[in-house]
Amino acid sequence: MKKTLLIAACLLLASDVWAGGRDYVSIVGSSTVYPFATTVAERFGKTSSFKTPKIESTGSGGGMKLFCAGTGIDSPDITNASRRIKKSEYDTCLKNGVKEIVEVKVGYDGIVLANSKKATRFNLSKRDIYLALARIVPDPKGSNGFIENPYTNWKEVNASLPDIKIEVMGPPPTSGTRDAFDELAMQGGCKTFPWVKALKKSDKKKFKTVCEALREDGAYIEAGENDNLIIQKLEANPNALGIFGFSYLDQNADKIQGAIVDGVAPDFDKISDGSYSISRSLYMYVKKSHAEVVPGLKEFLAEFSSDRAWGDEGYLSEKGLIPMPEEERAQVGKTVKELIPLQL
Amino acid sequence: MYIRTQMGHQDKKTTTKASATERVQLGLAKRRRKEERFRKLSFAAVLLSIGFLVLLFASIISNGWPAFQRTDILLDVHFDQKVLDVNSLVNANYGKLVKQAMRDVFPEVTSRRDKRELYRLVSSGASYELQKMVTADPTLIGKTVSLWLPADDLTDMLMKGKIDRSLPEAERPISNKQIQWIDQLIAQKRLKKNFNTTFFQAGDSREPELSGIKGALTGSLFTLLVTLVLSFPVAVAAAIYLEEFAPKNKWTDLVEVNINNLAAVPSIVFGLLGLAVFLNFFGMPRSSPLVGGMVLSLMTLPTIIIASRASLKAVPPSIREAALGVGASKMQTVFHHVIPLAMPGMMTGTIIGLSQALGETAPLLMIGMVAFIVDVPGSVTDPATVLPVQIFLWADSPERAFVERTSAAILVLLMFLISMNGVAIYLRRKFERRW
Amino acid sequence: MITAEHTSINKVQYFNGLNEKEQDTQDTMPAFTPTTSSLVTESNVMTQETVGKPFVKSPRMTCREVNVWYDDKQAIMDVNIDIGKNQVLAMIGPSGCGKSTFLRCLNRMNDTVPICRVDGEIILDGLDIYDKKIDVVPLRAKVGMVFQKPNPFPKSIYDNIAYGPKIHGLVNNQTELDEVVEYSLTKAGLWDEVKDRLDQPGTGLSGGQQQRLCIARAIAVRPEIILMDEPCSALDPIATATVEDLIDELREQYTIVIVTHNMQQAARVSQRTAYFHLGKLIEVGITDQLFTNPSHQLTEDYITGRFG
Ligand SMILES: Nc1ncnc2c1ncn2[C@@H]1O[C@H](COP(=O)(O)OP(=O)(O)OP(=O)(O)O)[C@@H](O)[C@H]1O
Ligand SMILES: [Mg+2]
Repeated sequence: MKKTLLIAACLLLASDVWAGGRDYVSIVGSSTVYPFATTVAERFGKTSSFKTPKIESTGSGGGMKLFCAGTGIDSPDITNASRRIKKSEYDTCLKNGVKEIVEVKVGYDGIVLANSKKATRFNLSKRDIYLALARIVPDPKGSNGFIENPYTNWKEVNASLPDIKIEVMGPPPTSGTRDAFDELAMQGGCKTFPWVKALKKSDKKKFKTVCEALREDGAYIEAGENDNLIIQKLEANPNALGIFGFSYLDQNADKIQGAIVDGVAPDFDKISDGSYSISRSLYMYVKKSHAEVVPGLKEFLAEFSSDRAWGDEGYLSEKGLIPMPEEERAQVGKTVKELIPLQL
Repeated sequence: MYIRTQMGHQDKKTTTKASATERVQLGLAKRRRKEERFRKLSFAAVLLSIGFLVLLFASIISNGWPAFQRTDILLDVHFDQKVLDVNSLVNANYGKLVKQAMRDVFPEVTSRRDKRELYRLVSSGASYELQKMVTADPTLIGKTVSLWLPADDLTDMLMKGKIDRSLPEAERPISNKQIQWIDQLIAQKRLKKNFNTTFFQAGDSREPELSGIKGALTGSLFTLLVTLVLSFPVAVAAAIYLEEFAPKNKWTDLVEVNINNLAAVPSIVFGLLGLAVFLNFFGMPRSSPLVGGMVLSLMTLPTIIIASRASLKAVPPSIREAALGVGASKMQTVFHHVIPLAMPGMMTGTIIGLSQALGETAPLLMIGMVAFIVDVPGSVTDPATVLPVQIFLWADSPERAFVERTSAAILVLLMFLISMNGVAIYLRRKFERRW
Repeated sequence: MITAEHTSINKVQYFNGLNEKEQDTQDTMPAFTPTTSSLVTESNVMTQETVGKPFVKSPRMTCREVNVWYDDKQAIMDVNIDIGKNQVLAMIGPSGCGKSTFLRCLNRMNDTVPICRVDGEIILDGLDIYDKKIDVVPLRAKVGMVFQKPNPFPKSIYDNIAYGPKIHGLVNNQTELDEVVEYSLTKAGLWDEVKDRLDQPGTGLSGGQQQRLCIARAIAVRPEIILMDEPCSALDPIATATVEDLIDELREQYTIVIVTHNMQQAARVSQRTAYFHLGKLIEVGITDQLFTNPSHQLTEDYITGRFG
């Protein structure tokens, strides 16, 4: 009993310490950027005299919410995002006193559709993807109307595709990968119907639901946030396709293969130069006001934007980050160095 | 006629007899069959659960076992004065030393591309190790030392047979040349699987070969300590008050109902509460075991209170009367007689509560303990993560070598749980032996 | 109520002048004549007044108008009785008639039963023990108790005895404590059986040994009054005899109230006997008189074994 009291007293004493300040960089945000941010953080922590930054994987939206909640040591210094900051989020930030935000583009990430190596490689167009996965699709009989998705077999979608049941595993709506997939692949395929594309101007809301709602009849399976699990399932079921970030394909190239989309197979170079179409930019947002207060923040940014990290042959590329072209890197590097705030 | 009546008479006799002993016999056989069936069924149930347990353990152990070994490379490192400037040892390029050592082993590798592939066989952790050595002992500069340095996780996976050599080169994460070099290294006895001390000495890392469980283990320890220190005294005090001192009225009934309800509240709700109260209102440090422990105490409090009350209730009233009868005060009765008797039950409740807390991740997500944290926490206010979170994070990592580390972490978690229960059993014995 | 007080004053006056030391049989009031009953019947037909001699000249405890309820069920009704100094009062009666309940009123043990409510006054040393200002701790130290079911602490035999003296600070050092333990166990007739195993758990003793342990525990705090609820129900004749000898011996210094189902025992150890029936105190009298010549029909039925 006495010992417990003693420990309690120690804890109370220890708890006084937090009032002092924070001597490490605090980072939140996207799970897609997480593997890259953590890699840099670890190197930074091990090679510099600063503490290793702490990184929480909260998702892009969750990160923004925490980031924009205010300034001060309780709030994170950096949030990662697998998309650009939204105007509404930017406004929230301003309202809560987060005035100067530095936007740092980090690189690119490709979203791949992959299946087991035991099966044949898919060769898809974005229209095929859209028709196979949308909840409602344009009536194949020609009239400009929509019907519930009638396709159950890839062959019905496109005669050149294999005679396999449609079965696609992918991330849930909370994931950044899903956001990007909806926007890049689904909308992209959707827009190949000119009259649907016209809808975007006349009825934006309708356009969004038509193009982005995924089917719920079992052909699309929400497989949770754990991409390793999807890979295991793909191995077990050669007929299924999975949707995830390029780094997972990169790490498991012996088990799975990425589908060719619009004639381009997903690989490093093709994503970097933009010819693989389902790819997106990854970002970091930094509070300028914290740069002088939090020890190591500026140095961490310097490490991140060094050539050995995000360069063509930097260690981030080994982790699956697709680097920006040289000039773009130089330009973003300058923004980082001078901490030029974002204007929206 | 006569015969018939006689027979009838006999019939009657036998039936009356049957109702006495034979009926019991008949019923007995039935009862035995029932018992037998029940015994077999229960035995089958036990077998089934043991079977599942064995299966679970076998799969975890077989998956996780390799993680306790790590492949090291023997390199002759020359601590070059040109590379290591005594005045700025922090900024020196230690990677260069490692690369030079690798080139020394394979002088025939010359093309830039090949060299890059060659360097990948060694972990990036090798240069950190050199840095540590030089910082600790600057007299090393200028000398050449043979050192076992960590190999890359891919080398490690190949050594452990986790990468299939028979696959075509394009489908392997490791090239033909690299395999050839590795074979050479093996032939020169420069590759060896050692006990993976890093796994027990390091925090999290993005490089599987450098990652360790110590950070999460310490985090779990701190968190549980806070939970124990907060929840045990509070819960026991609450239970004692409610059971022994509180008047029985509508208010205490209300409190009781609420405590029972709290025990059934999903843990994530406590996480939200912790976020709102401890972090946002009191401004306590995010991601710290202190806040984690506080949130988990909220969760375990009802469990311990309920268990403690049950064990207090189980103390026979005659013991209380005996103590009161010799003139002990209410307080003395409770503290000298009732609590010692109830203590084993209270401790069982506490261990159950703590075991629950040990496995929680959901409420910790809300307060930022699901995070990448490399440094091993040194106090309850340092950022930390806990074992189940570490398991979750590793299971979610793309690098294949994390698969075995996930299982190894599960093993560590199970060991933690077992030792916790062991401590509980020991303490219980000790308490019970007092009389 | 005024009537009751009035009568009790009258009764007390009866005793003035009687010699206290003049043997127990004379230490009580003369029996109520049957006319007393009729007197009560005049005032309240429903109240059945106790017959016999419930009052003594210099009582240790006086109980007046005691009523006890468990929730709304009344277990003791209008009991008036005195407990004489340095004598043994036996309480007999059929099972469930309220003997234990009444006994437990005397050291406020009923406080532990939440549904139990006690009404009336019980006076010890000039103070009502149910007064709000009274602290139960010294009361229970002064009025010790041996329960119906043996209930030793789950501690060693030694600790069982030593606990009371320790919490009350009755001893100054270990030697004194050892002496108290030996004395108490010897008095309870248990010393020879347990002197080599004092450190073993008290719960490991046989039922009869446990009961004697409880008796030893009660006398270890040197109470002035000892309440015993069927202390010999689990004992063999030899142990019973030991306890009865003890009671006899203790009587010289202590006042004892004993509940028993064994009428021979009541006759052997007590000077006065009270007969309870369905929560009412039917008759109180000098033991010999009550057993040989009961005044009330119910008492007679009970002691002649016609029921109960
Ligand atoms: N804790 C209790 N709650 C409710 N009723 C009780 C309680 N204790 C005793 N009673 C009731 O009070 C009445 C008197 O009980 P008590 O124990 O005093 O009887 P007793 O004379 O000691 O009987 P016995 O000789 O069997 O010990 C009984 O009717 C019993 O049911
Ligand atoms: Mg009784």
